[in-house]
Amino acid sequence: MTPGPVLLEAQHVTQRFRLPNGQNLEALRDVSLGVCENEVVALVGPSGCGKSTLLRLFAGLARPVDGKVLYRGRPLDGVLGAAAMVFQSFALLPWLTVAENVAMGLEARGVDGAARRDAVARAVNLVGLDGFEQAYPKELSGGMKQRVGFARALAVAPEILLMDEPFGALDPLTAENLRSQVVDLWRDPATGVNTLVIVTHSVEEAVFLAGRIVVFGSNPGHVREEMSNPLPYPRQERSPEFEEMVDRLHAILTATLLPEPAPATPQRLVPFPRVHVSEVTGLLDHLLTRPDGKGPVFELAEDLGVDYDRMSAVVRAAEQLGWVTTPGEIVQLTVTGREVMAMDDAARKDVTRARLAKQPLFARLVAMLKEGDGTVEDEEVLADLTIYFPFIPAESLFATLVEWGRYAELLDHDADGGRLTLLGWEGAAEARVE
Amino acid sequence: MKPLRLPAARPGLADIAILCLLGGVIATVVAFAREFQAPFAQAVQIDLRPSALPRYTLYSLSRGVAALVISYLFALGFGWVAAKSRAAERLLLPLLDILQSIPVLGFLPGLVLGLMSLFPARNMGLELAAILMIFTAQAWNLALSFYSSLKALPQPLRDACKVAGWPPGRTFRQLEVPAAAQGLVWNGMLSMAGGWFFLMVNEAFRLGDHDYRLPGIGSFMSVALDQGNGRAMALAIAAMVIMIVCVDQLLWRPLVVWVEKFRLDESSDGGPAPSSWVLDFLRRARLLRRAAVLQRRAYRQARRAARPLERPFRAVGPVILRAPRFAFGHRIARVLVSGLAILAVAAAAVWGAWRLWQLLAQLGWADWGQLASAAALTFVRVMGAVILSTAWALPAGVVIGRSPRIARALQPVIQVVASFPAPMLFPLVIILFERFGIGLGLGAVALMVLAGQWYILFNVISAVAAIPQQLKDATTAFRLPRWERWRVLYLPAAAPALVMGWVTAAGGAWNGSIVAEYIQAGGVLRTTRGLGSLISDATAHANFPLLAGGIALMSLVVVGWNRIVWRSLMEWARTRFGYAQ
Repeated sequence: MTPGPVLLEAQHVTQRFRLPNGQNLEALRDVSLGVCENEVVALVGPSGCGKSTLLRLFAGLARPVDGKVLYRGRPLDGVLGAAAMVFQSFALLPWLTVAENVAMGLEARGVDGAARRDAVARAVNLVGLDGFEQAYPKELSGGMKQRVGFARALAVAPEILLMDEPFGALDPLTAENLRSQVVDLWRDPATGVNTLVIVTHSVEEAVFLAGRIVVFGSNPGHVREEMSNPLPYPRQERSPEFEEMVDRLHAILTATLLPEPAPATPQRLVPFPRVHVSEVTGLLDHLLTRPDGKGPVFELAEDLGVDYDRMSAVVRAAEQLGWVTTPGEIVQLTVTGREVMAMDDAARKDVTRARLAKQPLFARLVAMLKEGDGTVEDEEVLADLTIYFPFIPAESLFATLVEWGRYAELLDHDADGGRLTLLGWEGAAEARVE
Repeated sequence: MKPLRLPAARPGLADIAILCLLGGVIATVVAFAREFQAPFAQAVQIDLRPSALPRYTLYSLSRGVAALVISYLFALGFGWVAAKSRAAERLLLPLLDILQSIPVLGFLPGLVLGLMSLFPARNMGLELAAILMIFTAQAWNLALSFYSSLKALPQPLRDACKVAGWPPGRTFRQLEVPAAAQGLVWNGMLSMAGGWFFLMVNEAFRLGDHDYRLPGIGSFMSVALDQGNGRAMALAIAAMVIMIVCVDQLLWRPLVVWVEKFRLDESSDGGPAPSSWVLDFLRRARLLRRAAVLQRRAYRQARRAARPLERPFRAVGPVILRAPRFAFGHRIARVLVSGLAILAVAAAAVWGAWRLWQLLAQLGWADWGQLASAAALTFVRVMGAVILSTAWALPAGVVIGRSPRIARALQPVIQVVASFPAPMLFPLVIILFERFGIGLGLGAVALMVLAGQWYILFNVISAVAAIPQQLKDATTAFRLPRWERWRVLYLPAAAPALVMGWVTAAGGAWNGSIVAEYIQAGGVLRTTRGLGSLISDATAHANFPLLAGGIALMSLVVVGWNRIVWRSLMEWARTRFGYAQ
């Protein structure tokens, strides 16, 4: 199928949320994106890049703070009737049967009586749920539940099907099976669905399904790059063309996730990636087992069983500590990294402490601590973090700083009193003597 | 269309039981309605013969149920508005917090006088006042429960309903209320029990030289006490217990089992599913299935009959709906409407404050001094009651909560005992204490323990029962001595719930002080100095300025203490001993 005219369009859309702690979080900034008829568009990117937010804007479930969303050239007013949605968490009502769940959207569209029963039966049949009509969702497995989710969406014969990580909560086998069924449904003229927008975390999934892949960057969410995927359907996941496409997308994503370090400007504050100490040492341990101590970031993610988003955060932390370098999408253990792994625990902590003291954010924290005679209130640090990194939830960044600071025996945190103390600072002792 | 087949029509035992129950309900409603409409009379004669007791019990029950229905309606409205509008939320939640903690009993005289002036010739005013007083003891936790259920509703479920194009009414019926059903039923159970607390005062109280009485189990008990009729007292207590057990078995148990269907999270907590013999019995009845089929048939026929009307209605509907839609959709209209609403609320608040000021201005310095010293005395008693309750309820709660077997066996018993309105026992306890030479000054503390202890016990039981099995296993595996187990596991794990229990127990004790420090039994009045007795005394002598001062002071102390002490203690217990990491 060839893409037709533009069906849904976001024009210079900006969206903001207020976090419970009062921080204003910008989820999307000035995003423009069109979806054409007969097209399958995948939105990929790290978590927190606003791809799900954009999907909700397309569905008309939220209004953008700035910019507009158009359907066939006209601004959306409320929920888009031409669209149906599939959710990662299935979003089935547990007290309704499968048939009642599938029929949820029919009444509002004026489908009644016998027509409604037919529509339900057809949708149930399309996803292979025959015989389960009177079951309650809690009696079904995850894969079956998501089939109900698809049937509910298909029952209203929508023009556009919006999917928010529809396979994210399923086990790999079930996901694979359901994925190829989605392609069949899309290509089957009987369903009436010819335009799909899917938010996904998986590169393979995007390449398998989409004709156009849009890569998002985060902080705040924006469109980084678009990639078209002309491979013919049905796609073979083991074919060289497919693998090449996956590699290309990997390369784009790596450029988004692991940008080449900017020319050294020591004054600029860089947030420390919110990862645990054990994750970084785990990565180094794994790299040691590889020939030459290197590997592509996506392969590492797959081998270690984490998603690429998390993996790249771990890699960035290791990079800030000087333990790995990242030429392109390759992660390479450095000489220091090898030395660190050979050390005993105490020596490793010493090296980490020396390294952290040079990291701009930790350096600033240490300066604050010295200014406050070796101690500073949590509140003060949190306020500081909120100002410098408005896009990162301050509490979680703070927790990361405390964890690394404690590990390196650089500082200590008094959770009851709500303050940080600098360890081994003579200033504190002197002040006490005076 | 599938033909609907009626199940076989031969009635079984269950059907007969249902018919009898239905008849009983109808008869009660009719009798109660007649009572409602009866001409008002001062100091109604209460018949102390046992044969009159069933009728009185049903009257009291009707009041409780009527109040519960109103409470549910209020909770649905209040919770919905608070969850939907941020402005309303900011106003309503603190309001709820205050309403929950102030001594509502003090408002009874004002309420009675107001409603009596509305319906001077009929019982209706007095009945409404009694029902509203029960309502004030039931409504707040229901409203809070519905509000928090709405707030906790997962966004995808809301989105799914919106994408399906459900109008707000349908989302309310099929998503919001079912998702809140469990909380609403559990809290309804607690509310019903709380509603009985002041039954005796609600049904029989003196205001100045007026003696207001309503036929009911509470007034039966109060007259029996006045006359020192021991047999009647025992009968009243027995009737109360039977009523509580019946309500529990016939209403709450089946409801609790039924709402299991509306669980949002699928993980069950491991325990066996609750069961109800009544529900099993009802499910066997043919009558109900038959009624369901008939109802569906009737619905279909009604739909078919209404079809010719559908088209004109569809044409007219938008016109009818235009005005409200305009009102909510248009910015200026919205600002205007909300502005008016805020103005009305503010005006009502100013008016209320002015009236209160007028009353309080009549009090002299001496009165205030008296109020303050009385408040200090009652405060000491309340704290004593909290400490005493903790002393027995904390260890007992840990022991019960630790063993699922004991908990399962004791829970229903404790529930019934806790639902029993403690004030009905106050006079008996005090007479007993007098035998041992303990006066009301100390005895009131014991009465306040009766009023507040259950909250602590329940909270501790549920917190200890929720301790993860692995933590218990760990203490066993490392062979911690018994005392160590309590110190490192059970007591810290119970701490947040214990503080929660203290808050409600102290609230119950404050409320209880109004009846505990001022007791009339066997024609003898016993009082002891305190804020509660001051309030009761002001009521009895229709001294409205002093009454207003007492209520205002008690509200201030309770709310202030909640805000300053309990809240920070709760915060501390939660961050220090919570499981959440």
